Amino acid sequence: MSSSAPGSPPPEPPPPALPEPAAPGLPADPADPAEPVPPATRRSLRSLELRAALLLLFMALLITGAVLYLMWARGAFEATQKLYLTTDDSEGVSVGMDMSFSGFPIGRVSRIELAEGGTVRIHVEVPVKDAHWLRISSVFTLEKGLVGAARLRAFTGILDDPPLPPGSERMVLRGDVSAEIPRMVADARDVLQNINRLTAEESALSGAMRELRGFTTRLNSEQGGLLAAVTGNEADARRVSELLDRGNRLLKSLDAVALRVDGVVRKADAQVLGQDGLVPDAQAALRQLNALLQDARQTVVKVDAVLKEVQGVAGNAREATVNLGDLRADVESSLRKIDALITEINRKWPFAPKEKEVKLP
Amino acid sequence: MTGAGDIMPAMGTAFSLYGWLLQLGRGVLRWVLGWWLVVFIGAQLAVLAFSPSSYRRETRGVVLRHLYNAAGPGLPGFTTLMALFNVVVIRIVVVTAFAYGLTQYALDAVVRVLVLELIPLVAALFVAVEYTIPSGSELYKLRRGGGFQAMRAQGVDPLSREVLPRVLGGIFAVLLLALVSCVVSLVLAYIAVHGFTWAGVASYNHAVGTIFNPVVSLIFGMKTVLFAVAVSLLPMANALRDLPRRASRTSVELQGLVQMFVLMLVIEIASLVGNYY
Repeated sequence: MSSSAPGSPPPEPPPPALPEPAAPGLPADPADPAEPVPPATRRSLRSLELRAALLLLFMALLITGAVLYLMWARGAFEATQKLYLTTDDSEGVSVGMDMSFSGFPIGRVSRIELAEGGTVRIHVEVPVKDAHWLRISSVFTLEKGLVGAARLRAFTGILDDPPLPPGSERMVLRGDVSAEIPRMVADARDVLQNINRLTAEESALSGAMRELRGFTTRLNSEQGGLLAAVTGNEADARRVSELLDRGNRLLKSLDAVALRVDGVVRKADAQVLGQDGLVPDAQAALRQLNALLQDARQTVVKVDAVLKEVQGVAGNAREATVNLGDLRADVESSLRKIDALITEINRKWPFAPKEKEVKLP
Repeated sequence: MTGAGDIMPAMGTAFSLYGWLLQLGRGVLRWVLGWWLVVFIGAQLAVLAFSPSSYRRETRGVVLRHLYNAAGPGLPGFTTLMALFNVVVIRIVVVTAFAYGLTQYALDAVVRVLVLELIPLVAALFVAVEYTIPSGSELYKLRRGGGFQAMRAQGVDPLSREVLPRVLGGIFAVLLLALVSCVVSLVLAYIAVHGFTWAGVASYNHAVGTIFNPVVSLIFGMKTVLFAVAVSLLPMANALRDLPRRASRTSVELQGLVQMFVLMLVIEIASLVGNYY
């Protein structure tokens, strides 16, 4: 080992004597005679070696345990199924990031690639034991907040749907807060511009405020006060004031009229509803009328009976008329027989007529 | 440089530049040679470490004893100290995360800061100060005292008898201390975040699994091993050579320590670049 260095010693200075220069004149501590190994018994040496072997074994166990633990923690011993998510932008997505469901990690991104058509294809490994949370109706989102990394999340609305088959491909919905900021700033700028325009010197709001100020000035002025402020000039305000006075007077006279009307009403009340008033008389008259009506009802009943009898008489008369018809028919037939008899007699001689002539018209 | 100045005094500045360049070149050469020696010794030791002849009956005992001397005595103290330190750091990180409403990142931050970054570094420094630098110094004295020659005279290779066991002991100690502290730190982080309950085990395992992805695990393992190698190899390699004298005449231990720090810094930066870029 020692001979290595002398390769290219620099010319002038004493070459850095490399290992083993036989230790010439070094002022090394002479009080340090090489004491290679402290005297030790064979037994203590054996125990030392045993302890060293135990330490070696301990370390081997530690390394094996650590490797196995890390593999287990990374899901190396878990059966997984694939899920492919497509999106238009892979920003924020990294290999190894979690896909969470209700806050629990249920999958891990294993690969990101550029697919056909320029979209991004994210490979997600979902452990089979967690795959039942994903259904065919599940929705996947990629959210990017202001602080922290992007988050890949799965939402399942209907847990009764059929489970998501292995190797399915789904679209990812993106929600990017930082992408919203420029739009928000633009909107805020518009609002500020509008406010600026509203509060500008020639704006409608400013004009309205000026008018308002004029109004309040007039309101506070000595001449006319509120009325002058409302009507605009002092003369009108005075007329309004006069109007109010007249109205007041009118109200007073109306008050007197009302008092008088009140007296009249009271008197009418006494005459109509008083002891000798109209209403008691009317009540007595009604009572009498009631009695009269009852009498009239009885009379009508009697008339009704009379009428019934008259009806019977009339029926008899109708029958008599029918019989009279029959009688008349009998008489008529008797007369026709007599007539025929006379005719017969007339035809017989000496009763025949002297001349028989037919006169033509 | 001065010689050159005598020859052409009129062009003093040009020659001083020449001299400066010459000195710089020599410095660079020395530096390269120094590191080459370290690498060469490391390669020799690697060959020896993987050859069964180094573990014959007589040397196996020596290796085992050095393994125990490197790791055994410091293990309880270091683990206790790191546990206390872990509790403090975990508490600070968790409370801060709570205060800012970033609870979900607390565990991540704790595991990344402590397990991935701090513990391997601290373990390596502890082993360096506790074992490898004193051991290197011991080796240096042995060599300067002619111990190596005596060994050779007896037909014993000092490299496999004295150097290899120390290097292996240092590497083993760093790995063991770092591993034990990482396990303790993971347990403490769980208790700090979830308390004494089993309820959070599933989510905790998931979080740890997410942090230790293959790349991070590989970088973590490589970093720890490289720290261990750096911490163990440099003091031994420096003990096997005579460092050029400097004006300040710093001791071998100190020069070795500075070199070691530089190397650890490079390893740490490389691991950070690998993890976070």
